[in-house]
Amino acid sequence: MNWALTLWRLASFAVAAGLIALWQLIANLKLVSPVFLPGPDRAWAALIRGFSNGTLLDKTIGTLEHMFYGWLVASVVGIALGAMIGSSKAMRSYVAPSLEFLRPLPVSAIIPVAIALFGLTQGMALFVIAFGAIWPMLLATIHGFGAVEPRLYEVARSLHMSRLAVIFKIALLSASPDIISGMRLSLTVSLILAVVCEILAGLDGLGHWVLLSARAFRSPDLFAGVILLGVIGYVTALAMSMVEARLLRWRTSGH
Amino acid sequence: MTSVALRKDISSAQLEKSHIAFSQVTLDLGGKTIIENVSLDVKPGEFLCIIGASGCGKTTALRLAAGLYQPTSGHVSFDGEPMRAPRRDVAIVFQDYGKALLPWRTAAGNVALALETIGMPKAQRPARIDELLKKVGLPNHADKYPAEMSGGMQQRLQIARCLAQEPKALLMDEPFGALDAMTRQGLQDEVLSLLDASKATVIFVTHDLEEAIYLGDRVVGLLPHPGRIGIDLPINLPRPRDQLTTRENPEFLRLRRELFDFIKASEA
Amino acid sequence: MNAERLKALALPVGLLIVLELWARSVDIHSDALAPPSAVLLALFNAFGDGSILSATRDTLASAFAGLVVGGAIGLFLGIALGIFQPLDRLMEVTIESLRPIPSIALLPIALIALGFGYRMEIVIVAFACVWPILILSRAAVRSIEPRLIEVSRALRLSPGDRIRKIIIPAALPRIFLAFRLAAGIALIVAVTVEIAINPIGLGAGIMIAQQALRPDLMLAYLLWIGLIGYALNAGLLAAQQHLFGPAALAGEVR
Repeated sequence: MNWALTLWRLASFAVAAGLIALWQLIANLKLVSPVFLPGPDRAWAALIRGFSNGTLLDKTIGTLEHMFYGWLVASVVGIALGAMIGSSKAMRSYVAPSLEFLRPLPVSAIIPVAIALFGLTQGMALFVIAFGAIWPMLLATIHGFGAVEPRLYEVARSLHMSRLAVIFKIALLSASPDIISGMRLSLTVSLILAVVCEILAGLDGLGHWVLLSARAFRSPDLFAGVILLGVIGYVTALAMSMVEARLLRWRTSGH
Repeated sequence: MTSVALRKDISSAQLEKSHIAFSQVTLDLGGKTIIENVSLDVKPGEFLCIIGASGCGKTTALRLAAGLYQPTSGHVSFDGEPMRAPRRDVAIVFQDYGKALLPWRTAAGNVALALETIGMPKAQRPARIDELLKKVGLPNHADKYPAEMSGGMQQRLQIARCLAQEPKALLMDEPFGALDAMTRQGLQDEVLSLLDASKATVIFVTHDLEEAIYLGDRVVGLLPHPGRIGIDLPINLPRPRDQLTTRENPEFLRLRRELFDFIKASEA
Repeated sequence: MNAERLKALALPVGLLIVLELWARSVDIHSDALAPPSAVLLALFNAFGDGSILSATRDTLASAFAGLVVGGAIGLFLGIALGIFQPLDRLMEVTIESLRPIPSIALLPIALIALGFGYRMEIVIVAFACVWPILILSRAAVRSIEPRLIEVSRALRLSPGDRIRKIIIPAALPRIFLAFRLAAGIALIVAVTVEIAINPIGLGAGIMIAQQALRPDLMLAYLLWIGLIGYALNAGLLAAQQHLFGPAALAGEVR
């Protein structure tokens, strides 16, 4: 039935293309002022222009760097801390409730504190992004480590596995589905916070680019930037899905 | 008595020493006495079956033998040494095989886990894994994940992993309880032939009386609330056992009657 | 349960005491830290002069309005896509292309189109809320017991009736859950927009406190924002339990 799916996919693209054509129509008819809504043609032109002269590439890399450094720090700390807390029943009782309390807190509220500590610098951005990205990872890891099948721990005891072996060979892998879903959320959070920090601190990146374009009323450049941010969001989510599919092969197989 | 041999030739000196010994073991858990004053001697190479009504503490007794529980009073010893923690050479086959296997490792990977912990060099592992998987009847399933295998196959995989530990004793907790009758009988014979070669001592917990008689050299029946030994029957049936002839043997039927009456009485 | 409660409180209470003692003894001159007692005092004063309450009102109003707008759009689309599979397939590319755009990226567009103020914030919150509600209500409609759909066919209900009497009530628990999650998102996005650029609400309040080098007030706002977030989530969770009972959503995400 694969050809049926492909047909639907093509039809779906056609619908999207149709909507873009509609967009073009609205822009041509100037139903909305071109200052706010450039036609897709002008947005595309701005995209090409930005890449050919290298600016947009720099900005994209800038945002990606902010995202990834923060996300990486958050991953390492989040998983390590989560493993520690999650594998000890005592620590879970003491720590997990406080973390649950902090879960609904808007992480962007840490930004002014970070500014007070670091000023409007790269360091501030790294702190904010890492701080924001840690929570999904930490909470998911704690949950994953706390949910390891107890029978497996008995098998480990029977085999006299060392503490390290139990953590790496059993607990970590058992928790991996949770950890990976935490990583996905963290990626989303990283992107959002990267953009916010760039807007606030004027750091080099797409967030700053779209703000400047907005201030200068250069809407094609603005839209080009927004499109690129959407692309980054899409591509990183896709990459994460592929990693997940590869690492969690054992889940999908079988009855 | 001498015409009936234990499963393998054991020197008479070894016959004297007990391999696994319970010495007046009592276990209290959660305010209740689960088993009380149980004393038991299991000889090296002996195949001991433990039966009893639900709640009589047979699984608890097995877990004590495994070192997963510590007795409240009395002691459990293995080879003369007190059993304070699980030992690598005492392998446990759990009833819920699905939970005792690593779902993210293939069959080969699961067997490898035991080989990794006993420190076998990496180069030697593939051959040993193949050998063990063949032994338990899973020769072509090395790359399958547990989720892709049937219940019977998963239990065999668990047994393979336990054998990889080179166990001196094998503790089996109602290993075939979750399987259908046909698979169960097949596995019963496989276990017997597997253990023929090795000299492992076996403690086999089951609620199936016929299974206990079929497999064991000796059947111990526990009375419930609290668990105590109620009956201790030697099984004088010839080996090798056969699903048809052994089960029709008059001695088999006599033993079956005796154990059945015991269970009925203990449930009253 | 009491032992568990005590354990849960041990860490935060202990931490606060340590912070208080350390801050008082060291006499810190920091722009970022303040003793917990000073923070509480600043919070109290902010209540007294009404500043934090009007800021709270602004933030919650924007978040709520955005949730309603985005929720209505998301709900409408989600139910439509859930009922009509062909429509869902046709819209797949469009939705999957628009969804990954971080709502905050629309901030500059909304800014030049609408200027500072409520409208711009509501638009961004609405955009952020559309997606989770769309996805979850679509899933809710799809997971309706097929037997109920058959019943509606057997009774020959009109499409409108079918939607009103069968589909919406059956999907309601999960739809409520979607709104609960979206409410959290709405609050977060509203505060983020205010922190980034919009001079209204709690986000603006906390930024102003930081710029005025008043760490006690800044942390007071932070604490208050956290309490609002927690109260919102807890309140909606309680409402969910009350309306639908714990069994209706067994196994769902908290």
